[in-house]
Amino acid sequence: MHTLKLLSSFLKVNIQMSLAYRADTVVNILLNLMWLGWELLSLNIIFSNTTTIGGWGFGELIALLGVFRLANTLMIAIIWPNTEKFNQSIRDGSMDYTILQPVNSLFLVTFSRITVWRIWDLILAIILIVIGINMTGDITTPFNILTFILLAITGMVIIYSLWIVLIAMTFWFTKFDNNVTILQALMDSGRYPATVYPAWLRVIVTFIIPIAVATTVPLQALRGELKPPQIALFMLVSIVSFFVASKVWKLGLKQYSGASS
Amino acid sequence: MFQIIKRLWQVNWAEQWQYRANLLMYLLYWLVSPVIYLAVWTSIANQKGSVNGFTANDFTTYYMMLLICDQVTSNIVIHSFGYKIQDGTLSGELVRPIHPMLTNALINNIAFKTLTFMGLTPIWIILYFLFKPDFSSVTVTGILLAIPVMLVAFVLGFLLSAAVTSLAFWTTRVYSIHEFYYAVLLLFSGQFVPLTLMPKLIQDIAQYLPFQLFMYYPIQLILGKLSTQQIIQGYASAGIWFVIAITLFNWVWRNGVKRYSAVGA
Repeated sequence: MHTLKLLSSFLKVNIQMSLAYRADTVVNILLNLMWLGWELLSLNIIFSNTTTIGGWGFGELIALLGVFRLANTLMIAIIWPNTEKFNQSIRDGSMDYTILQPVNSLFLVTFSRITVWRIWDLILAIILIVIGINMTGDITTPFNILTFILLAITGMVIIYSLWIVLIAMTFWFTKFDNNVTILQALMDSGRYPATVYPAWLRVIVTFIIPIAVATTVPLQALRGELKPPQIALFMLVSIVSFFVASKVWKLGLKQYSGASS
Repeated sequence: MFQIIKRLWQVNWAEQWQYRANLLMYLLYWLVSPVIYLAVWTSIANQKGSVNGFTANDFTTYYMMLLICDQVTSNIVIHSFGYKIQDGTLSGELVRPIHPMLTNALINNIAFKTLTFMGLTPIWIILYFLFKPDFSSVTVTGILLAIPVMLVAFVLGFLLSAAVTSLAFWTTRVYSIHEFYYAVLLLFSGQFVPLTLMPKLIQDIAQYLPFQLFMYYPIQLILGKLSTQQIIQGYASAGIWFVIAITLFNWVWRNGVKRYSAVGA
């Protein structure tokens, strides 16, 4: 309850901040639509030359684009702005004030900045997913849709956990400004099914920087390719990775000594 | 003049060298899209034998060459110059007896490129062994013909970006306009897919735009895929667009500087 109240006040502050730059927000939404058009055009070009990629059809790729956009929104609306603020606070020592608050520091650090207009992107993403699922037709069962949603959340939690580990590294190496670039760089790999990538790239995006776990895997569930034990495994991995991440965060906090001392 | 250029090079090289870690990250970031397109298209070509005449190896060589051509012809003017107009840093450079864009920013870009090439070379070699492209269609003539085009394309692209960046004299913030320009560039340059696989309409428009000179045209030239007539057309287009870009930039710059009121002054 307390956390929800905090979250809603974070939202309020961030809405006020973005209202200060209204023209910017409108332009950003237009640019966002332009990139969506570009993505749809590129899918269209691919499917004018073939009927499937790695066995996946047009509808599935549209749904994948939607899931990719969900993960990308997490990246741009939450991971970017908060990382920027966090790196700054480690450098100038304002992290002191964050730790002093009577709230979970991890929650404060990861949710205090939210690029609010990106919520628009979430809506677009959901529309894409629904259209995509509709296009795939009758092969999808309610069970598949349910596991799809479940695994999309699981994938997000895994990316979120990896992010926490990456920013917690800053406690040890103070000048580590590029902590999320690697995550951002590989993000684009989520637009296409990881199954078409060469083995080495598939290993990277599945096990090292698990973008595919948040994009390809939920889609595989939607296609009914995953068996219950695999689904359970992904859920277990996400729970474990979150616990490991919060452990690393706590260890990192102990390491923190302020900027001036 | 030579002395000035030498000094500018030293300053800009030192500046770029300081950010070498960031630069490596930028390189990694930039690299992912072409590598993914390569993987997607080769997988489609393998599954169907060929796509519109393109075999898997054609796609591999195309994107491997794209990594080099894009790196030669692209520029970072928007990042190295856009903020100077916005926050007024430009004032200090305007009183110097050299052109802020055509000397300082240009040399800064070349220093940046030199450094990225030092990073790209080992990565390119690793990718070469991972994808094992067959470059047997590459000819020495093709490479010799492509080098001048790529150099012209770099200067041409630099001037166009510089013109777009200079719109900041009117609008202060120019990043959104530049992002739009960049999207158009991506669409018509052949970065996503060899232009011949694009819808007919886009191919036709691309013929008249300078953007194919950045990637599609030099790549195909090196790979020996162009007819003599196409080569001549490309050269003509490079020449015409070069003149247009110089004129356009000069006009935007001259009128822009007149409007410039220096933030904070």
